[in-house]
Amino acid sequence: MKILVLYLILLKATVTSFAGLASLPVVRDELVIQRHVLTDTQLNESVVITRSSPGPVGLYVVSAGYFVAGLPGAFAGWLAMVTPALLIIPLLLFAGRRAEHPRVKAALQTVVIASAALLLAAAIPLAKDALVDYMTIGIAVASLALLLKTRLDSLWIIFGSAAVSVVISFLPLLKMG
Amino acid sequence: MPSLKQIAHVFTRYGNLTFGGGSATIAVLHQELIERRKWLPEEQFVMSFALSRLTPGTNLLAFCTSIGWQLQRFAGAIVALLAASVPCAVIVVLVTVAFSQMQSNSIAQAAIHGAVAAAVSITVNTCWTLAKPHYKSGSRLRVVLIAVVAFALHVAAGLPAVQVLLIAAVAGFLLPEKKR
Repeated sequence: MKILVLYLILLKATVTSFAGLASLPVVRDELVIQRHVLTDTQLNESVVITRSSPGPVGLYVVSAGYFVAGLPGAFAGWLAMVTPALLIIPLLLFAGRRAEHPRVKAALQTVVIASAALLLAAAIPLAKDALVDYMTIGIAVASLALLLKTRLDSLWIIFGSAAVSVVISFLPLLKMG
Repeated sequence: MPSLKQIAHVFTRYGNLTFGGGSATIAVLHQELIERRKWLPEEQFVMSFALSRLTPGTNLLAFCTSIGWQLQRFAGAIVALLAASVPCAVIVVLVTVAFSQMQSNSIAQAAIHGAVAAAVSITVNTCWTLAKPHYKSGSRLRVVLIAVVAFALHVAAGLPAVQVLLIAAVAGFLLPEKKR
């Protein structure tokens, strides 16, 4: 498959979606169903990979691109991922000049509050997926308490939680050994 | 004003460590850009955030591009976008290559397990970080109302996120808060 075509297909998916995995149906339809250059298993794997490595979920197009065409495919995926981000510059120029207008201010404020609510909604499936036993629930509760009560960098909370999880998971093994 | 090198440093260091949604990264960047380094005022940060939610594609990357633009115009935007997207893309390629080995590595699995649990709390905490600056006396009812309606439209009525946000933008534009 030509890299330019792959880029345009992935761009079509990213530029018409507004969040993480929302572009997935387009990618699946084009690459799995119509062109047969990617399998469903590979597509699922690319989602799992981005979920378990750092970076935004939208990165799955990089992984999918790699499955389709190796390194050049991954590059096409990366380019398709970053291209729409540039669209914020005209938006910024438009809104920035009017930022002091009370109606524009109110519109932006309402969007921020609404996205806080949407974020809470997004946390529900994430929690169902991630909080599967006493240990993960404990980690989540302790993390939230630390976030609300201290000024600890969330980077350390992520690393700390990973370390605690490793220690607890391997504790029984150590005792046996 | 920060240099391009400083912009590259901050977005490389803090823009690439997202687990479970970009919201946690926004919180980290808020801490770093507003509270610690004071590179730009809160209002500009909030404007970038609101606009990034209305930009197609990965919101976090649009957000970083916007912050870069406000700091150093076009060069800043490009540097921030590259810094926030190249390192994690390289990691994803490496992980894709090594995926079969990763799946059977129980230490990596346990670490991911813990990190994802923490990501849930970071996401919940970010909701509050976002709403808090607007939640002041006289506006509380308004904030709660907007949040409840947005949540209901998305969860109960099943409206896609971007439609909810567009409705929010229109509602805010038509019904600005009264000056007291």
